[in-house]
Amino acid sequence: MSMLNVENIQKSFGKNEILKNISFSLEKGEVLGIIGSSGSGKTTLLRCLNFLETPQKGKIIVNGNELFDGEKQGKYSEAQIRKNRLHFGLVFQQFNLFPQYKVFDNITLAPLLAAKEQLKDNGSYMGVSTYKEAVQIINDYAELLLKRVGLSDKKDSYPCNLSGGQQQRVAIARALSLNPDILCFDEPTSALDPELTGEVLNVIKGLKSSDSTMIVVTHEIGFAHDVADKIIFMNDGVIAEQGTPQEVIDNPQNPRTQAFLSRFKQFGD
Amino acid sequence: MNQFANVTQQLLKGFGENSFIFIITLLAALPLGFIVSFGSRSPFAPLKLLTKGLVWIIRGTPLMLQLFVVFYVPPLLSGGAFNFSRINAALIAFIINYAAYFSEIFRGGIEAIPKGQYEAGQVLGLKRSQIFFKIILLQVIKRITAPIGNEIITLVKDTSLASVIAIPEILMNAKDFSMQGLIWPLFYSAIFFLLFCGILTLLFSYVEKRLNYYKG
Ligand SMILES: Nc1ncnc2c1ncn2[C@@H]1O[C@H](COP(=O)(O)OP(=O)(O)OP(=O)(O)O)[C@@H](O)[C@H]1O
Ligand SMILES: [Mg+2]
Repeated sequence: MSMLNVENIQKSFGKNEILKNISFSLEKGEVLGIIGSSGSGKTTLLRCLNFLETPQKGKIIVNGNELFDGEKQGKYSEAQIRKNRLHFGLVFQQFNLFPQYKVFDNITLAPLLAAKEQLKDNGSYMGVSTYKEAVQIINDYAELLLKRVGLSDKKDSYPCNLSGGQQQRVAIARALSLNPDILCFDEPTSALDPELTGEVLNVIKGLKSSDSTMIVVTHEIGFAHDVADKIIFMNDGVIAEQGTPQEVIDNPQNPRTQAFLSRFKQFGD
Repeated sequence: MNQFANVTQQLLKGFGENSFIFIITLLAALPLGFIVSFGSRSPFAPLKLLTKGLVWIIRGTPLMLQLFVVFYVPPLLSGGAFNFSRINAALIAFIINYAAYFSEIFRGGIEAIPKGQYEAGQVLGLKRSQIFFKIILLQVIKRITAPIGNEIITLVKDTSLASVIAIPEILMNAKDFSMQGLIWPLFYSAIFFLLFCGILTLLFSYVEKRLNYYKG
């Protein structure tokens, strides 16, 4: 059973069909790289997976659980959608950190709220039954995440005092704070100065492990080639080509993919 | 000296009216303006249009006219059967007027928050209310402190407009003295306003400073 099954997703804005019948699957521990030209629907696809947009058709299945089915449109409660979202994490192009909170509090805000809610509803959170114990677990995990993104010394800083690269690394730690099954990145380095992209890409590479499943939309073709197990090339709302990086990036079969990649090659890779 | 004490007492009494109108208006118009700001941002078009229309009328006509309308129109329409007391009429007009202004400031403040802030909260599984209170609200407050402060200081001075429906506020009392040939109470009354506004200015710059711990 795959970790993620996306089946026949279709999404239109008004009369514009942005995603046409998108289907793919992803195994646990795999990294999927999504490439494609501007406007091809990459962001829209990630937003559908994170339930920021609702597709008109198709299914989203995680670990065999059907989270979304276009046939049952409108039947999903706010609470259900919130629960669905927890299967996915999203790192935005523009970071979207909460400016009024310190780095550490950016990371702990959501888990602390979740702990409060779960303790109230079920009397337990991650195996503990008091808020105090939950706070301990959450704080320890936040420390660990900060270490993983290399920002332990910045935990008491405010986002406005960090560089773009540091902000994006905090955003990655924040997205991991709730242990999503699948972490999505939407062009995580596009808003960064070129000299800052490396630190962020390295953090993402460092996250790759047998139990972290990721989807990375990126224009960094070399990075996609290195980090991804599977590449999807999107064009005009459809998956024009998919396969291993060797297949799609080194030996593209589809003329569209070839044309897209040749634009990158012109700049000397 | 006796005269000075007498004037001081009269002006203080008048300023009591101003302060009363100020405080009640603030207490009622801030929350009301907050509610109205949701109306003018409603996805339900009729409600949005209605709210925007009302806000336009209130902000587009003189507060003095609104005071006249609230005080004189109900008895005229009801043949004298129904009327507001002077102070109630003043409070109603001030509250509605200031709620309209505050609502526009709130609306601007809320709309200035980037969509990404909401979406970041959403993907972290937060409820809409949690997103508003834990993420958005403080950012809105930071953005609106200065314009709200200006509006509140304007309100201090606007309270003297209540004299047009014969509420014995400070300027009316000062004017009474001047009609008896005593000019200085007019200037003396200005000191009350200057002090009050001065204190408020300090208060708002303190709040602004407190919120300056972060940028963005
Ligand atoms: N909310 C929306 N309403 C209307 N059209 C939209 C909306 N969001 C996206 N679109 C349209 O959908 C198309 C695909 O957009 P999308 O952002 O998914 O592309 P993308 O592949 O991420 O592009 P880029 O590489 O520039 O980020 C665009 O033509 C865009 O204008
Ligand atoms: Mg995009």
